[in-house]
Amino acid sequence: MREFQTLKVLSTFKSIFIWLGVDYGVMEKILQIKLTMDERRVPTIFNETGKKKEGNQFLKSLWVYGLYGLILIPFLLLGENYIFQLSLAFGMILFILMTSMISDFSAVLLDVRDKNIIQTKPVSRKTMAAAKIVHIMIYMGFVTVAFTAIPFVVGLVKHGFLFAVIFLIELVLTVLLVVVFTSLLYLVILRFFDGDKLKDIINYVQILLSVGVVVGYQVLIRAFDFVDLNLTYSFSWWHVLIPPIWYGAPFEVFLNGNSANYLIAFTVLAVLVPVVAIWLYAKLMPSFERNLEKLLSDTKKRKKKKNWVDEIGAKLLCRSKEERIFFRFAASMMKKEREFKLKVFPALGMSLFFPFLFIFTYPREGGLEEISGGSMFLFVYFCNFMIPSLVYMLRFSEGYKGGWLFRAAPIVKTSRAYSGAIKAFFVKLYLPVFLVVSILFIWIFSARILPDLAAVMLGGLLQTLITHKVVTEDEFPFSASFEFAQEAGTGKMLVLTLMTFGFVLAHFIAMATTWGIYVYLVILLAALWILWKRVFPENKIRSHESAELSLDQQE
Amino acid sequence: MLSIKNLTMSYGGKNVLNNINLEVKKGEIIGYIGPNGAGKSTTVKIMLGLIDDYQGDVVIFGHDISSGDPSYKKKIGYVPENAEAYDNLTAMEYLIFTGELYGMERDVAELKAERLLEQFELQDARHSRLSSFSKGMKQKVLITSSLLHDPDLLFWDEPLSGLDANSMMVIQEILAQLAAQGKTIFYSSHIMDLVEKISNRIVLLVKGEVVADATFEELKEMSEEGSLSGIFNQLTGFTEHRSKARDFVSIVQGADVDA
Repeated sequence: MREFQTLKVLSTFKSIFIWLGVDYGVMEKILQIKLTMDERRVPTIFNETGKKKEGNQFLKSLWVYGLYGLILIPFLLLGENYIFQLSLAFGMILFILMTSMISDFSAVLLDVRDKNIIQTKPVSRKTMAAAKIVHIMIYMGFVTVAFTAIPFVVGLVKHGFLFAVIFLIELVLTVLLVVVFTSLLYLVILRFFDGDKLKDIINYVQILLSVGVVVGYQVLIRAFDFVDLNLTYSFSWWHVLIPPIWYGAPFEVFLNGNSANYLIAFTVLAVLVPVVAIWLYAKLMPSFERNLEKLLSDTKKRKKKKNWVDEIGAKLLCRSKEERIFFRFAASMMKKEREFKLKVFPALGMSLFFPFLFIFTYPREGGLEEISGGSMFLFVYFCNFMIPSLVYMLRFSEGYKGGWLFRAAPIVKTSRAYSGAIKAFFVKLYLPVFLVVSILFIWIFSARILPDLAAVMLGGLLQTLITHKVVTEDEFPFSASFEFAQEAGTGKMLVLTLMTFGFVLAHFIAMATTWGIYVYLVILLAALWILWKRVFPENKIRSHESAELSLDQQE
Repeated sequence: MLSIKNLTMSYGGKNVLNNINLEVKKGEIIGYIGPNGAGKSTTVKIMLGLIDDYQGDVVIFGHDISSGDPSYKKKIGYVPENAEAYDNLTAMEYLIFTGELYGMERDVAELKAERLLEQFELQDARHSRLSSFSKGMKQKVLITSSLLHDPDLLFWDEPLSGLDANSMMVIQEILAQLAAQGKTIFYSSHIMDLVEKISNRIVLLVKGEVVADATFEELKEMSEEGSLSGIFNQLTGFTEHRSKARDFVSIVQGADVDA
């Protein structure tokens, strides 16, 4: 086991932990073990390709955050309207941290394995809780550094030393706020629910939070008046409820010397809320650990439910029995698996929300009538934007170890497994969102956009297939551990996501001529047909056998 | 050593444990048995401080465990059910880590762990990850980890699952010798022959209540059955194993089952 630099840095805060009543030595040992384990993610059992992935996958994906961080730079360069610029910047920071916290680190917080292994040893609850929170903080720290390092330097150069100091202090406060706020939220939920219901509630809260953070960010932008392009800030009472504004205020106070009462109040909130939250958390943590036990038990009996949509989908869309089996399997996995829902549903919620957001916030003069004549319906492509990350998620499952079943069962055409899963994804996840947006769009833009919507949908299908072809490594869906899902942020995925713009561009070109859209539709259909044949060949059998076959042929 | 008085634990309005009383003396080997879901693991979890919203008193080493001070756990060794461990660690890393959590010095723990693993013939695998271990190997590591710090009281939940017959005999002998040295052992198992052989006291739990608490000989006298599994069937009121099995097999073969 190696020594971690992070822990050495941490030891400078040793006295704080001791003062809080934490057994620092024990905490350090737990953290060392945790960090060691994070470096070793075990590849799926049946992954014969033998591609071993060593090292901490999360740290390796950090550069993407660095890339995202560049978005902050314009806000820092615009001028000296701090309350506006830095509220937006901190809005983004809070957004990134919160999303990362909910989707990547909730599992660490709610880990019940720790209980059986560590709590049976003479380790106090406080020490264990501290180890948990510090473990998360370390990673959140990395995310924050990756995200803000370049903007920080830009800010330092542009606005000077004092700016940098305030920025740094606020970053620390924001990380604390995000981690502790999320923990407190779980604490409350754990208190009031139990068993499987509890898991469902946690799941839904996580999904809602993720969507809420995005919506909240949009509300933040609305808090500023865009009058004559001259951004002015006027105080309303409800701004007190928007944390990013708290963090914009101190810059205004200290750098612009603006000492309006509400700005002072925001500054106080920015410091006070995280501190009070930590104090509260320290008080309540033992009950958090105690209530975690509830996650382990389920006493209720459940009734069998039949889902007609799944049945009809399986009958209509799948031609072979094997494909139908996997369609049903994938459909129920998507519905039941919490981890999957957690990673996927927020994206779906945003696909539903974004097209409208952009239409209604676009600066315009002629009102809804002008919109309905234009080509803003192309915002429906936001639905397709989410496809790559969702298709990628089909590989993963909490119960990935159950994947041995696919190998043990006499499945003849293995390519049917993924084709069924892909169809299920399209029908169960993509179509509902797409249909809702489409119906509302038809209402706004009239039925003239029907061919365009058809092109969007076909484009979506095509993107689904391409993504599948590029990202899928395993032979069967739901057979890899979510531990690998963090790679979702890597370059490949970024390119696949940006592919949507390619479709938008093609669509624009098609719209230039009268019948262009129909030509485009035909091209899309042809491409789909060819690609489907290639990705899911009819006669594909088990991969290693087919490899042998092709060898035979070569000889 | 260990004393449980009027222990009741309810969960969702249902009593999982109902008024359990137990006095355990030094050097006893207690076989804690019962059907699935009787509350065995819950009892063990309460004693280890994993669950603390119970009613009643649990005193271990003369120390009421509800006080919240975890130091009483220093002299306890625990083998969890389902072989739960941090699978990404190697055997040695895991052992040293648990040893350190019990307050051992790092090099002491390391030396001792190596020597103990050698006894189980795991010396070659000691730097491999637990995830690559077979169930039996992993179980041996967990048993080692529960003994590393030389505890006075052992809680073993299904300690023998996955072990081969030879290893079982070794473990059985270890238990007997540890008890002879004055260690107290509290273990649960579903392998009745074994419980019969190694326990000097058997506690049978059914639906959260203690229905029997005696030595095997005493149990034999009380019931007409000659083996512990017979006594177990009788006391848990289970007699229809033959007809259940017959129905099951005929369903497998596709026949209709007559009532």
